[in-house]
Amino acid sequence: MMRKGMSWFLLVVLMVFGLLVGCAPGASSDDGGEDAEGEEPATDENAEDGEISGELEIQYFVGGYGDSWWKEVIGDFQEEYPDVTITEHAGPNINEEMRSRWVSDDPPDVVYIDGAGSSETQMVEDGQLMDMTEWLSSVELEDGSKLEESFIVDPATYDGSIYSLPLVFDTWGTWYDNAWFEENDWTVPSDFPSFMDTMGQIKEDEGIAPFVTTGQYPYYFLRGVLYPAFGAAGGDELLTDVIEGKEGAWTSEPVMNVMKKVEEMQKAGYIDDGFGALNHTQSQMNFLLHDNAFIPVGFWLPNEMANDTPDDFEYGFIPSPMQDEGEPGAIVPDLRPLAIAEKAENPEAAKAFVEFVFTKEYAKSFSEHTGAIMNLQGVDLASSDEVPEFLKKANEMINDPEQVQIYQKPHPMSASLETPISNSLVSLMLGNISAEEFAEEAEKAASEYRQSLE
Amino acid sequence: MVQSKKQSYLFLAFCLVPTFILFAVFTLYPLVNGLYYSLFEWSGASSVGEFVGFDNYKRLFSDEIIPRTILHDYFLVVAKVIGIMILSTFFAVALTQMRIKEAPFYRIIFFFPNIMSVVVIGILWTFIYNPNLGLVNSGLEFIGLEEWTKPWLGSETWALPSLVLPSVWAGIGLFMLMLMGGISNISKSYYEAAEIDGATEWQQFWKVTLPLIWPQIKISILYIIITTLNGSFIIVQVMTRGGPNNSTHVMGSYLYEQAFVKYNFGYGATIGVMILILSLITVVIMQFMMRREKVEY
Repeated sequence: MMRKGMSWFLLVVLMVFGLLVGCAPGASSDDGGEDAEGEEPATDENAEDGEISGELEIQYFVGGYGDSWWKEVIGDFQEEYPDVTITEHAGPNINEEMRSRWVSDDPPDVVYIDGAGSSETQMVEDGQLMDMTEWLSSVELEDGSKLEESFIVDPATYDGSIYSLPLVFDTWGTWYDNAWFEENDWTVPSDFPSFMDTMGQIKEDEGIAPFVTTGQYPYYFLRGVLYPAFGAAGGDELLTDVIEGKEGAWTSEPVMNVMKKVEEMQKAGYIDDGFGALNHTQSQMNFLLHDNAFIPVGFWLPNEMANDTPDDFEYGFIPSPMQDEGEPGAIVPDLRPLAIAEKAENPEAAKAFVEFVFTKEYAKSFSEHTGAIMNLQGVDLASSDEVPEFLKKANEMINDPEQVQIYQKPHPMSASLETPISNSLVSLMLGNISAEEFAEEAEKAASEYRQSLE
Repeated sequence: MVQSKKQSYLFLAFCLVPTFILFAVFTLYPLVNGLYYSLFEWSGASSVGEFVGFDNYKRLFSDEIIPRTILHDYFLVVAKVIGIMILSTFFAVALTQMRIKEAPFYRIIFFFPNIMSVVVIGILWTFIYNPNLGLVNSGLEFIGLEEWTKPWLGSETWALPSLVLPSVWAGIGLFMLMLMGGISNISKSYYEAAEIDGATEWQQFWKVTLPLIWPQIKISILYIIITTLNGSFIIVQVMTRGGPNNSTHVMGSYLYEQAFVKYNFGYGATIGVMILILSLITVVIMQFMMRREKVEY
């Protein structure tokens, strides 16, 4: 009887296993290619009569920028192309919610890649995004100039191909309360020595640790402070080496110098020793409550914290001042791209939408709605009353090469490399390891990352 | 009337088949599915995966963070078993034996955390541990122990021990009720007899109460072990996300990080298999260790 029971069980397990094989991830990427070809005829049908029609699905993350700009653009697009039925997939958790659609090869047509749970690098590695290299060269702005020549920052390239167009030009930097600084006569820092001086002054005057960041998301510090510091120390080249985990990059001298500065900040007691447990909102709250004076976040900070900002608080933004004395400030833009799915069911409408979005008019309205900048050159922000003051100043600063140098990263750092490095970074900033030990751990993480790519 | 064999089989099938189907769909299928995915290198976000055989398992053994997560998990298991069992036994005995007038009130108070979601508990305790505004640090300052204040959850040394308190706090009530049930089933005459024989209250506890509620204690311990190994993920994820620098990662939160943050879904599934195996082994060992003859007086 027992044996009979066992064999039954085995049989069932086998059957379940058999069922599974049918619905598990495909064993090779070749399948993907075939599927895509299979869908081509449908595409042509849509384009045949020169009309854009059918259903267009747009996925966009709603975070610090809100969704009012999207509503405006999508509404206008609908008016322009009445035959298109637009389905929006939006929200703060949309990346998680849509994951099953991407897994089952039924993605939306257009995707705005931003927020937790999304990774442009991963999507490209998984072959989920359409190669736009050729198409892009044919797209023109309303004034006849080519779109590919009008970006502030060029699209990320993967082996020379373009899979996404950078829509939002955001940049990380260091924030302070301008009103508070003026009241106390503190100098706004412009390089690392003055940064240390000001922090020392604030610590003395207020008895607080002047600098805070989120320890639960250590990449805020990595992207907001270290990237620009690496850019200032070794240009785009060093930035690329560090992001791609090139051998020896993390132990190189310029990187060591930057990490020494971080160590110095920690040893002087300028980094809030409670930062390790804070998530981004908590750290930002502490900043608003004047528990700390400096915080590295992107342009979205004022928008994100709008409901909690005290009335007399005045946001001030500077490039994270980690560069040596006398050098211009450095920023590394962080771009949030718009992309078309490789398996989009309506690629023609998707292309029409992407083309529709990239105009100077929408770039201006983007700044008005969100307090950030859209990635197009020559947009006149100064004339608009609705663009926040800090953004006009920042925009001015960014466009003045004597004040600020822009460094570009080739593409975002892969999460497999960013996570271990961020972990060691927290340890360094808590004072548990030295800059040398950090460099060693980072170098090791980089070597493991390189191995995983092979 | 005697049922025919066929009828009785039909009846059995009627009872068992629906349950078995549900069990297969909701337990066996995910289980086997997890095993299957652990053989793939798959991001979990696309339809493309590559069969890699046992590569993920090899990686598991060379991953330096894995031993730490296991250690953290068992640290929580041991701390929770000791903390919860001592406190809940103490409260159960106190509320049943000591004739406290407000016993029903305390029963409700102690059970209260059990009706709260673990997520809420986690958030609540992050505020309690907050280095600037939190109750813990202000309390320490108030009683003059300022040098003891620290950023509890932000410290690599203290973050993990700090997670014990909320977990114990959240667990006491349920087990206290279970033990109270056991104690109230013990006949008063045993205690009377013990008292006549000159046994102190302490001796009564060790010689009468404890042996007679051993089955309840055993079940409680096993239950704590299983829920900790499978569920400590929630409190870690809410309170520290495994940080700072992996110092609070348990197996579950590391699985989550691998599968959903670093896009290594296949490797995440492999960690899941490891959790399953370790939980099974632990439960079997504990069953063996806590074997005791059933006591009856």
